[in-house]
Amino acid sequence: MDADRVDGSSVEDMASAIAEGRYQAIGEILEAAVVRGERRWTYTDIFDHVFLSRSLGIPIFLTLLWAVFAFTFALSEPLMIIIEEVFGALGGIAGAGISNPQVASFVAGGVFGGLGSVLVFVPPIFLLFFALSILEDSGYMARAAFVMDRLMQSLGLHGRSFIPMMVGFGCSVPAIMAARSIEGEKDRLITTLVIPLISCGARLPVYILIAGAIFGARYAGTAIFSIYLLGVALAIIMALIFRRTLLKGEPSPFILELPAYAVPRAKTTVLHMWARGKWFLIRAGTIIFGTVVIVWFLAAHPWEATAGGEVIENSYIAIIGHGLEPLVRPFGWDWMAAVALLFGLLAKEVVVGTYGILLGVEEGALGESLVALGLFTPLTGFAFMAFVLIYVPCIATIATIFRETNSYRWAAFATAYLIILAFVVSGLIIAIGGLLGFS
Amino acid sequence: MTDYSIKTGKGLGIYASALGAISLVVGLVEISGGWGEIIPGDLFGGFVLLVIAATYLNGVKGVFQGRYEGLSFLVGGLFLTAVFGVLYLLMMGAEGLMYLLGEAEALPGIFDLRPEVWILLLSLPLARRVGRLTDGMAGSRY
Repeated sequence: MDADRVDGSSVEDMASAIAEGRYQAIGEILEAAVVRGERRWTYTDIFDHVFLSRSLGIPIFLTLLWAVFAFTFALSEPLMIIIEEVFGALGGIAGAGISNPQVASFVAGGVFGGLGSVLVFVPPIFLLFFALSILEDSGYMARAAFVMDRLMQSLGLHGRSFIPMMVGFGCSVPAIMAARSIEGEKDRLITTLVIPLISCGARLPVYILIAGAIFGARYAGTAIFSIYLLGVALAIIMALIFRRTLLKGEPSPFILELPAYAVPRAKTTVLHMWARGKWFLIRAGTIIFGTVVIVWFLAAHPWEATAGGEVIENSYIAIIGHGLEPLVRPFGWDWMAAVALLFGLLAKEVVVGTYGILLGVEEGALGESLVALGLFTPLTGFAFMAFVLIYVPCIATIATIFRETNSYRWAAFATAYLIILAFVVSGLIIAIGGLLGFS
Repeated sequence: MTDYSIKTGKGLGIYASALGAISLVVGLVEISGGWGEIIPGDLFGGFVLLVIAATYLNGVKGVFQGRYEGLSFLVGGLFLTAVFGVLYLLMMGAEGLMYLLGEAEALPGIFDLRPEVWILLLSLPLARRVGRLTDGMAGSRY
């Protein structure tokens, strides 16, 4: 390597020069050792010529991402109905077969109404991870990072941030941990702060419930895709704001090896899907179940005043909800939304479980009830989805930010900015939507 | 120097232009609200077709010159056509399952096929021809 080139340069320049020298040496060795076939082009060259194209690379990435969500939503719908019917039948059996009214209320309302309404989202979560695993195993995901790097560099961001952000579509916690691979401290911190804006799988049940209810099966996939795009757009905007204000500096260079394309193997893809999706089942049996029990208790007590959970307006949870209602009333949401969002701080799936308990209906009728009771219009429902996207993903994410930054200040800052941003963006959606004539 | 004959390239180019033009028109109709029952209005579906059209049309000049640079866009276009054609077929299958579960009024029929599926069928002859040209090609360079 040319010593003069390294001398006097920044750490980033040196890293770039070392990598360049390393690849030059590899190229020379391969040139001398490998005998090329007659054909100059390979399948990898063919696909890279298109997928990495300057003009088509990003549009193709967006179309494939849309395909992932359309696939997830459309195919999971009948599977969800089957699970709903199973839980509905079990709830009915439990309600009729248990003599103790408190236990019967807990099993029917808390377990089957609350936890059951969360577990019906197993199919979309697993299908989403299945589709993302196909993209990853085929070698396309690395291309997506490469394609987005051009856009991110042009915005003054770091290309490697995109990989943790993609991990964030699964869960924010491993995504924040994946940001460790980013060398520059400022780049790493910016990525850590914006990852919560990338919509994780835990938020998907909320979108499916609301979008399915207010936009119908035909447009629900598109509405959900819009929310995911909003998350990516906000992450880029916030990263840009942090780069220009709190964490000034130039992004460090991005070096990425592109693997050859491969036809994904069914077994590997299913294993990847399972590895990513099993956390949902684990959470369902731990934090979601625990929170749902608390919500059920608050919704069914005082037992006499609520007539065994039948008159929800007299419950402890209604008192909490009415106390919080002024915060969300400007967005057209009622006290139930306030309570759902409050408990959603523990785990986003609980938002759905809370509605399941508060409305006291079977899983299949939850969406219909939301619309029939006038709790959401298309505009207020979309704003609610945006709020769920933006405000703190869960307690575990904030704890991970604290652990990774080793600073309670950054964790507190992340919490505060996400909540403020959620109010601002949801307010803008309501205001702009209202001006455009949406109800 | 060409990678395959100009005559082959011209045939591929004309077919790809036609597929690109059809995708472009259908995509624009979908974006602008649809046309009766035949082409449903679908903003993102229309955007997808515009991207497919752009991919095909990007490769036309190159294939007329008999070059792999052009052929690669045809492969990309065919890949996207296949992805979305199969996706809409799967969605129809899901609708059929919904009918069996009593959640849909009617079983989807041939007239419910999305234009993307017809475009997939139209692309099959091109896929066959392109497949012959790329047959035996290595997966990667090393």
